[in-house]
Amino acid sequence: MKLTFKALILFISLMLLHACSSKKEKKGYANLPPANSSDVVISSTIPTQITSTGDPVTLESLQHDFDVLSWQSFIALNWPANADGTPKENAIFGANESGMTVWQSWKSSREIFLPHGKKPNAWGEVENIPIVCDSISAEDLEKGIITLTQVGKTPNVLDESGEPFQTGPLIDQNGNYTRYEILTNEVMFDYIVDNELYSYEGQKAFGKDADFPFSDPDTGKEGAIMVKAAWIKMEGKYDASQFHTAYALVYDNPHEQAKVKPACSLVKVGLVGFHIAHKTKGDPQWVWSTFEHVANAPTQGEPVNRNFYNYHDPTSTYPVNEPPARPWNPANTGTTPTKVERVIPIDNDAKALNTKYQAALEKMFKGSVWANYELISTQWPTDANNVSDQTGKPAPTFLANATLETYIQGKVPQTSSNCIACHNNASMTNGMFSDFTYLLQRAEGKEIKEKK
Amino acid sequence: MNNFVGLSAVLTGFAAATIAPAIDPINIKAEYYAKFQAEIGNNLFFQILSDFQTRNTPPGSNQTQEEKNQLIGEAMLAGSNGENYVMSCRKLIFLWYSGAWPTVDGDTTSSQMLSAKSYTQGLAWQVMQSHPMGDSNYRYGYWAKEPADLSGYTGNNN
Repeated sequence: MKLTFKALILFISLMLLHACSSKKEKKGYANLPPANSSDVVISSTIPTQITSTGDPVTLESLQHDFDVLSWQSFIALNWPANADGTPKENAIFGANESGMTVWQSWKSSREIFLPHGKKPNAWGEVENIPIVCDSISAEDLEKGIITLTQVGKTPNVLDESGEPFQTGPLIDQNGNYTRYEILTNEVMFDYIVDNELYSYEGQKAFGKDADFPFSDPDTGKEGAIMVKAAWIKMEGKYDASQFHTAYALVYDNPHEQAKVKPACSLVKVGLVGFHIAHKTKGDPQWVWSTFEHVANAPTQGEPVNRNFYNYHDPTSTYPVNEPPARPWNPANTGTTPTKVERVIPIDNDAKALNTKYQAALEKMFKGSVWANYELISTQWPTDANNVSDQTGKPAPTFLANATLETYIQGKVPQTSSNCIACHNNASMTNGMFSDFTYLLQRAEGKEIKEKK
Repeated sequence: MNNFVGLSAVLTGFAAATIAPAIDPINIKAEYYAKFQAEIGNNLFFQILSDFQTRNTPPGSNQTQEEKNQLIGEAMLAGSNGENYVMSCRKLIFLWYSGAWPTVDGDTTSSQMLSAKSYTQGLAWQVMQSHPMGDSNYRYGYWAKEPADLSGYTGNNN
């Protein structure tokens, strides 16, 4: 245990600060004094609303408040977890970089939307891994299980290798495909199961718009949360000590692209990108937070000052932010690495907040990998109840993660990445609104299979 | 800026809080403010805003705010203000409704879109309770449903 006395004092201080900020939350947003001390809260509690610090409240002050909520959410979701997925309350955040986090215990999309619309297993019950993964020796799998979770949970299956709307895969510096997974919390999972939205027939019978529960600061009830993670294999040019790592079953999914043959391997992967979408009482369009590893890519117009980037080789002549040529196949190793640049800079307030949090995380546990992550921004609805614009006029208007929306960065309406506006179009298989998630479109049904 | 927003609200018939909300991530008003000033010149720009400020008094006891706004708008567009003055106000209306700055040449009007953002923010689409071609914030299947009431678009009871 590397915990120092100073770190312990800091931890206790931060806990006290969190207690103070929690009290402020209950008073509502208006007329609260500036509370910079509450910016940095390292806690396993997922915040259910912002704590307003603006006086007067402005677009900038609210953006700051949502960014603080994002950091608090990031830490709470990445908190070390018990066997049942609940946070280990006495854990030191950052002390176990490869331990299972809260969100890693959640249900993945692969476990929810099963072939033929079959009902998923209950929360806490593991879904079968792809058959091809059975070829991994029990000894290796056991090693992965022990190293990853220490709770007997099967390693997560990373079965996606493409970015949204077939914009392309993202290739790391070793020539490997970046892998993705989407998971939901228990509240969201329960809503899907209780309403049988996991199947085509269930959605048809449901017959109305989906409306997931929201987090309610008045009752303390947690609402629907979904996360999307981007991982790269920890080999070759990557130093695993700089990442949050996990053992995962990397699965080449034949349903993703033509001519992809199913294959599976147990590998150590490192986290490079992380989305959080959280439905809260005041934000029916959900709050969209996105984080990246600090070494992912340089920002256009800013110095290229790192010796190594996860997705940018300054000497490469490959066009910037351009996907590899088709055909795409995650089994292909040695693909030319993508040369990524961030198009929209992180704003100065978020940069300052990142510095604060990274310093606090480093103080809490020297060498914490979590200090290697940064908030890109948070998108939230500025006018949530606007009847003529159901996107609620999101701020900022555009937001992209360089590992998750690499090829749709920018500020072109209806083209560049805008979390809320894009997910506002999401529907179920019956054409009804799916409440800002595309996951429900993955539902299969007996009828569909029979038609095929 | 407050006078520019107030003037724009009076001329367009939209609520000031709709075209320029206090929490405004789009901030199209800044683009229009700069364009309006650059196109008509400082002297006329500040003359128009000053006149608006003078006229923008609280409504009388028997008058609603909308009735007051109507009178202010009529005063701003009165011929006695001069042709260039009135044309400038009309061009500002055109700018808000279309997102483009017009050039009037005899009987012909041509216009140039300021930006992709201004195209999406044109008030003409709002009045139609619709959306610009190629840009929609409606949800899948919206075409089969009644749009929100017009007041939901303009922010006024009209």
